[in-house]
Amino acid sequence: MEEEDQQKVADLIKELVIRLRSQNPNSESHPPTPNTPEFQSSLRYAFRLISSRLNPSVAPDAAAIAESTKRRLATQGKSSQALTFADLYTKFASKTGPGSVNNKWAVVYLLKIISEDRKNGKTQLDSSVLLPNLGFNDAESGKESRVLVGRGNKEKGWNNGVLLVSKDPENLREIAFREYVNLIKEENEVSEEVLVRDVLYACQGIDGKYVKFDSSADGYALSDLIKVPRATRIMVRKLCELGWLFRKVKGYISESMDGFPSEDVGTVGQAFCAALQDELSDYYKLLAVLEAQSMNPIPLVSETASSGNYLSLRRLSVWFAEPMVKMRLMAVLVDKCRVLRGGAMAGAIHLHAQHGDPLVHEFMGRLLRRVCSPLFEMVRSWVLEGELDDVFAEFFVVGQPVKAESLWREGYMLHAGMLPSFISQSLAQRILRTGKSINFLRVCCEDRGWADAATEAAAAAGTTTRRWGLGYGESDALESLVDGAAKRVDKHLLDVIYNQYKFKEHCLAIKRYLLLGQGDFVQYLMDIVGPELSEPANTISSFQLAGLLETAIRASNAQYDDRDILDRLKVKMMPHGTGDRGWDVFSLEYDARVPLDTVFTESVMTKYLRIFNFLWKLRRVEHALIGIWKTMKPNCITSRSFMKLPHAVKLQLLSTLRRCQVLWDEMNHFVSNLQYYIMFEVLEVSWSHFLDEMEVAKDLDDLLAAHEKYLHSIVEKSLLGERSQTLYNSLFALFDLILKFRSHADRLSEGINELQARTMESSLPSRDKSKTKKRSNDRSSEPGSWISEGRKALTQRAGEFLRNMGQDLDTLSKEYSSLLEDFISKLPMQQHVDLKFLLFRLDFTEFYSQLRPST
Amino acid sequence: MYLATRSPLLNMDADAAKIARESLELAFQMSNILDTGLDRHTLSILIALCDLGLNPEALAAVVKELRREVVPVPPSDAARPVL
Repeated sequence: MEEEDQQKVADLIKELVIRLRSQNPNSESHPPTPNTPEFQSSLRYAFRLISSRLNPSVAPDAAAIAESTKRRLATQGKSSQALTFADLYTKFASKTGPGSVNNKWAVVYLLKIISEDRKNGKTQLDSSVLLPNLGFNDAESGKESRVLVGRGNKEKGWNNGVLLVSKDPENLREIAFREYVNLIKEENEVSEEVLVRDVLYACQGIDGKYVKFDSSADGYALSDLIKVPRATRIMVRKLCELGWLFRKVKGYISESMDGFPSEDVGTVGQAFCAALQDELSDYYKLLAVLEAQSMNPIPLVSETASSGNYLSLRRLSVWFAEPMVKMRLMAVLVDKCRVLRGGAMAGAIHLHAQHGDPLVHEFMGRLLRRVCSPLFEMVRSWVLEGELDDVFAEFFVVGQPVKAESLWREGYMLHAGMLPSFISQSLAQRILRTGKSINFLRVCCEDRGWADAATEAAAAAGTTTRRWGLGYGESDALESLVDGAAKRVDKHLLDVIYNQYKFKEHCLAIKRYLLLGQGDFVQYLMDIVGPELSEPANTISSFQLAGLLETAIRASNAQYDDRDILDRLKVKMMPHGTGDRGWDVFSLEYDARVPLDTVFTESVMTKYLRIFNFLWKLRRVEHALIGIWKTMKPNCITSRSFMKLPHAVKLQLLSTLRRCQVLWDEMNHFVSNLQYYIMFEVLEVSWSHFLDEMEVAKDLDDLLAAHEKYLHSIVEKSLLGERSQTLYNSLFALFDLILKFRSHADRLSEGINELQARTMESSLPSRDKSKTKKRSNDRSSEPGSWISEGRKALTQRAGEFLRNMGQDLDTLSKEYSSLLEDFISKLPMQQHVDLKFLLFRLDFTEFYSQLRPST
Repeated sequence: MYLATRSPLLNMDADAAKIARESLELAFQMSNILDTGLDRHTLSILIALCDLGLNPEALAAVVKELRREVVPVPPSDAARPVL
């Protein structure tokens, strides 16, 4: 079988060679003769060729081969032929069974190769005529030819068309089409060198020839028309991310620089832009170097190997790694900072600086130093000079125009939104207070000494007062500067307040006069203004009262006080309604001038006023009780003069008096204990605490807090707080009752006096009591009501009067004990610890607590 | 007519001969479309060789070489034996 096949193959090949040779146009002249040497050599050649390639280089897949052939036809523009071919092939492939071709793929493949060879052969035919030596080379390398080689071939194709087949219309069209495809291909096929250049352009935000900014995709990309491998396309895209980021950063910078004066970018924003600009100029340098390098070939050791250019896309990606990180960071910052300003911006950037990568860390540090420098400069000038040079409202201290007295409390605020996170809240508070102190000294105290303190502080902190002395990351330096300045400025401020403005003295004066600490003064004042204040409020002149106040001062030890302090003490009439008595509207006022009105603000003075009113009322009640005591001392009344009275009346008189005395005693117990409590448990204790705290106060805030605490404790303990509102009300009811008792007691004593006078008149006309005498004279002028009616009538009247008084006293006493009961029962419900002492004092003998269960 | 050289075909029945003829016809048409320049006879020889299992690449090379061979004959006849 083998041999038979071999024989058959040999026969067929021989036949083939004969056929081919006979077809050959050149050898047409001499007909094929199997015995010529040429024929023999051709045959040998054919055998050698066949035996040299035993295995096909492609997979025996007929369908795939047919498909590729079809596609080739289609790309050559012969689409109708391609269709016909496909049709034929399907028919050919469907022929099966005996008689059909077995190796179908081989046949198709054979046809394909022959056709390709023929085509190449045609071109080669021409080239071999023109350039006989190059023709073979071209054909040989044609299969692997890439861009450059391909181009050469195509040129020849063009020439071919012109020279050989220009007359054939079909060929002309084919060739024209081929030429067009070549042109497109030439245009669209891009060498890497060009791509590198384009990428470098794109990274500077410039559109290259092929790499352009695509606004729909929002990024740089190779245009779709260009044929490059997918991998290259992706790489170009990746590299061009840098260009996209650059555009963003650059856009931000130019945007904020252009809109600088009109829109408020702020100094921090400007610093940020400048820092970004610097980073970008570094980046430009890198790009310039890269661009210069990109043209140079790589120096190789061997000259023979053709080296590519220095920069390939791949190399570029290595070069871009570091700038990419930076640029990404910048883009992120730009995104984040677009809406932020000032301190908030610095804070946002600071958040990004917390990074483990040393590259990023160092980069951010550099950026932040630039960004924060305006901010630190503001801090410095604020802390050392008290100047708020913040045109764009970027600083975390905000000033607002206020009156001098509220400068300290409301003049300057911390703006939390502008506080960068690397400055702690407490440090910010200290910064705020230091600058505020300086401003306070300057505006309110008109003091110049703070400058020395500030200079000293700056010297101590190590930085001189020169500008730009501080930077980001030197938080220790900042802290020590602020601390030093704060310590010195605060100390200076307190010195000024204590020594120059005599804060302590003023506090003491307020305690003495407003809180009624100066006993003799109060007593005297009460004595002389008492009659005046009993008048209706609208008839009282405050000038007259001021005169009385002056008199009281001069009559008491208060006259030895500082004149400046006494001048500030004034009478104040509160607004009054109809029916108000002088007592209701009278009060004293202390005029705390600048700068002390920072401490003694209006609200503070209102509190003082409330306390004063309370104390004044308490004093008045006490004063009233003392007045009763004066007139009704037992030894004043139970004189022998009543001996002559009938026994019954005398008994009645004594019992009424006794009842009155008992009630008085009860009231006196209550009032004096309350008075004692207020004086010693409340005022003095709070004062002593206040003094202690004043000693240790380091700054004005401490002082304010101490004073606030002092005032608050007084208010709370004297039942003026909100929680003890009901207690306070019942206390006032008690006071009113006591005052009512006083008027009753006055009437009683008056009645008794008159009775006494009458009885005396009848027995001892010459009694050396001027008052009684005068009164008796008055009475005697009108022919006597009592005398004329005789003794009996007198006794009767006295009895009636005393009975009435006794009943009144009874009701008063009942009312009083119920009110007191109420008050005492409410007292333990107060939360305040010190009120326990009041209860303890009032109920020392447990008289009331024993009484209560019974009722 | 050259199908006669393929001796087994002679023994085949009419169907097989018909299929063979049609196949050859189809192959010839494809060959024309592809512009191979082969005539029917040569093609039938080549198909026969392919059916015998010869490498089509080798056959194509033979066709190409023998066609071209005559071209360089005039300039350099002496060079050919080297090939």
